[in-house]
Amino acid sequence: MERSIPITQEMIDRYGRINGDNDIVHYDHDYALKRGFRGTLLHGPHMTAFVAELGARRHGEHWLYRGRLRTKWVGPVCPGDAFVGELADDGTLAARVGEQTALVGSATLRTDG
Amino acid sequence: MTRPAEVKIREGATPGTRFEEFEVGAQTPEARFTITPAIIDEYIRAVEGDEKLYAVDGRRAAPPDVLCVYMTSTLYQKYPPIQGMIMCEVAFNYHHPIWRDEDTEVRMSGVITEKVVKKGRQFVKWKGRYVRADGTLLAEVENTVAVPE
Repeated sequence: MERSIPITQEMIDRYGRINGDNDIVHYDHDYALKRGFRGTLLHGPHMTAFVAELGARRHGEHWLYRGRLRTKWVGPVCPGDAFVGELADDGTLAARVGEQTALVGSATLRTDG
Repeated sequence: MTRPAEVKIREGATPGTRFEEFEVGAQTPEARFTITPAIIDEYIRAVEGDEKLYAVDGRRAAPPDVLCVYMTSTLYQKYPPIQGMIMCEVAFNYHHPIWRDEDTEVRMSGVITEKVVKKGRQFVKWKGRYVRADGTLLAEVENTVAVPE
């Protein structure tokens, strides 16, 4: 199960407005370059939201009562990138930009009811 | 409606917390906020979400990851963020839907669980609980942040 999302600065700005994160590395391209990145950065929790939806697709309403989501942010995602999230049959989550891993984790159901 | 920015202290608003100031076992103060249908709608637009995925017996619910935008509300009350702090990892256990047809008053609190130094980087781990005003557990979260020297 896969989800591919082309990333734009507008999307980052929109998430920043609701998340309340004012670190300009997400909004100021020149500043992000000075910090050594390819461009402004997608918020980590924004990546998490993109792949969390794969858990909801797979598990339906059980996701709301017994879902367990784990994500670790390991690589940058910038405007112009195509973010591709994948949920494997065993619950392993991975997201990449091109050949570079951006996120690892899992989306499974707990067995404790 | 409580926008996340209203309950989260921003980086740079205070001097920020140094690694040595985090205390394992310390409780973080209760944060209170209200998740409204309008906030849920805005969140779904922001994450390009498919709202049809979230319903129970026809009753519409929020994507449970909407809780993520409120995550640091309790932590930052006791430990304001220092510039350069980086979110590394997060895990959620979801326990109950957040309904999309009503306001949900949430109380969140947490505890610092671990401080680790790995390869010269300083990490703080903490856990939090999101509880509805009537006592219903909505979700638990475990979060790891890297704190600069």
